[in-house]
Amino acid sequence: MHIHTALKRPTPHPSKTNPTQSARAPRHLLRQAAPIIGIGLFLFIWQAVVWLRLYPEFIIPSPAAVASRFVDVLLDGRLWLHTSTTALQIILGFALGATLAISVGYVVAKSLVFEAIVSPIFIAIQSTPVVAYAPLLVIWFGSGAASKVITSALIVFFPLLLNTVVGVRSVPNDQRDVMRLLNASRWQIFWQLEVPAALPILLGGLKVSATLAVIGAVVGEFVSAKAGLGYLIERADYDFDTPLVFVAIVMLALLARVMYGAVAWVERRVLRWRVK
Amino acid sequence: MLRRIALIILLVAITISVHGQDKQPITFFLTFVPNIQFAPIYVAIEKGYFAEAGIELTLEHGDEPDGVNLIAAGERQFGMISGEQVIAARANGRPVVSVYEWFQKYPIGIVVADDSGIESPADLRGRTVGIPGAFGASYTGLIALLTANELTEADIQLESIGFNAPQVFCLGGVEAAVVYVNNEPTQIERLAQRGECGAVRGVRVFNVSDYADMVSNGIITNEDTIADDPELVARFIIGFHNGVTLALNNPAEAYLMSLPYVDSLPRDPALIAALQAEADLDYDQGIGEYEEPGEGRAAVLERLRVAVPDVDWVQMEILIDTAQLWDALTPGSSDLESWQTTQDILVSMGIVSAPIDLENAFTNAFQPIG
Repeated sequence: MHIHTALKRPTPHPSKTNPTQSARAPRHLLRQAAPIIGIGLFLFIWQAVVWLRLYPEFIIPSPAAVASRFVDVLLDGRLWLHTSTTALQIILGFALGATLAISVGYVVAKSLVFEAIVSPIFIAIQSTPVVAYAPLLVIWFGSGAASKVITSALIVFFPLLLNTVVGVRSVPNDQRDVMRLLNASRWQIFWQLEVPAALPILLGGLKVSATLAVIGAVVGEFVSAKAGLGYLIERADYDFDTPLVFVAIVMLALLARVMYGAVAWVERRVLRWRVK
Repeated sequence: MLRRIALIILLVAITISVHGQDKQPITFFLTFVPNIQFAPIYVAIEKGYFAEAGIELTLEHGDEPDGVNLIAAGERQFGMISGEQVIAARANGRPVVSVYEWFQKYPIGIVVADDSGIESPADLRGRTVGIPGAFGASYTGLIALLTANELTEADIQLESIGFNAPQVFCLGGVEAAVVYVNNEPTQIERLAQRGECGAVRGVRVFNVSDYADMVSNGIITNEDTIADDPELVARFIIGFHNGVTLALNNPAEAYLMSLPYVDSLPRDPALIAALQAEADLDYDQGIGEYEEPGEGRAAVLERLRVAVPDVDWVQMEILIDTAQLWDALTPGSSDLESWQTTQDILVSMGIVSAPIDLENAFTNAFQPIG
């Protein structure tokens, strides 16, 4: 009761806002506008490089040239085709990789023997750059979406596996003992103790993996594809269409940002109890 | 005739004048990875042809468009780039110029199993065709071949398979594959002979060059280098040309000189000894006894196989097949018709939106033999 009262903040009367709060308002606005300022600054530096002719325009085209090309491919439908192809592969790869990583990670966290068996294999796969085995995946799984989804899943798998193991093992043993003393079943220990305890670390891993999924799909598309943003970059590169290369790169950055933002949104929803 | 003599005198004078001077460091951009197909360059380095021309050469491998951009921006002076890339690059504001057409025949073709029922390119209709990707020389060559046989891309099932044609073809993933005619067919045949290529026992290749005379891989530079330092271009070309000439006339010696550069080359002692014996023969006399270009080189391969039957000669075979693509009465020279054919294909594909002035895309002014 007392704690609740102490935490309850009285709403200040508008006319009684103190000077410190008034000073905070512009700073708050600045923080809100910071991303736009950052993008504006980036565009200005980019345009300055073009104005100063530090590189020929066929190496670094102007923001206006890229924007014009963006409109072209948006209107002719190519942008949607390639972006949606890559987005689907990213989502499927992320879902597959995350499901496998969390499932296997839980077993690894629980069994030291299983960990000893699989960890050399996982470390070997993780320490090999994805570009090294991506061509093999095309041979094994064909040149369609499957090879891209698997490439994406593989790149997602290991970091998330580690986070799962760390998250599950972060549960203090005394809390497990308390649950056992209260005759909690295995399912109850898992659902009411381990999952909530592991979630913060797990969701941190999911945020990182969401952006890695983009890299995996694009590497797969670079090796062989008929559609997708990786293919569009390769095709535009061979056609010497540098503005189109930039358009595809911007779209990839946006996709990565959307993936990250989606997981961050889920994190905020799921961990609301933690903030409170 | 007088111009030719004057050019030869100029080149000799340049060659003499550069002796004793500091050598000019030049980075030569190549596509792919170190490979026996680049033997003339290794020969020119090992024989000192570039050094005699006052050039200290460094090799750099990378993706073709990157090479074009580096050369266009003046970051590199020379590179080996395919002809259709020169046209596409110039159409998009890159001031690059082809100065030596190294490959006289377009190196792309389509490989099929010889019992596949595909007797001609027209039989590809409805078949699954693998390609590294829908871009670059492979794609342009495919479209040229299809067009010449009254087919379009929509008539075949095109599969993007990366640079994995032998593996995907032998696994049955595609019925035909767009390949470099001097490389992958030999590898597939070798797999087939060993029974490692499914039901395939032999292959048939449809060469793009038999259907369309397109400009192929050549040495390119940029307009500034030609304008500001034509002497450098002339020196580079003569050094390179000497390498091509020796590799054409003495492929065994070219193979031996490629060994320090290409890790994947077999180097069995018996193979090396046989190559050395072959390299020591006097080819200036031997080669003239054959009626067709390349017969002498084919005879070299046959002698090597008889001398040492138990080693893998596939890389030597690739070198000799590749040399067939360089060979011509006037190695290095280019003609406007092949540039025009290539541009017509690029325009029809939409890669080039409007035709460019092809006279500016290449020059024969630096040809050692006019």
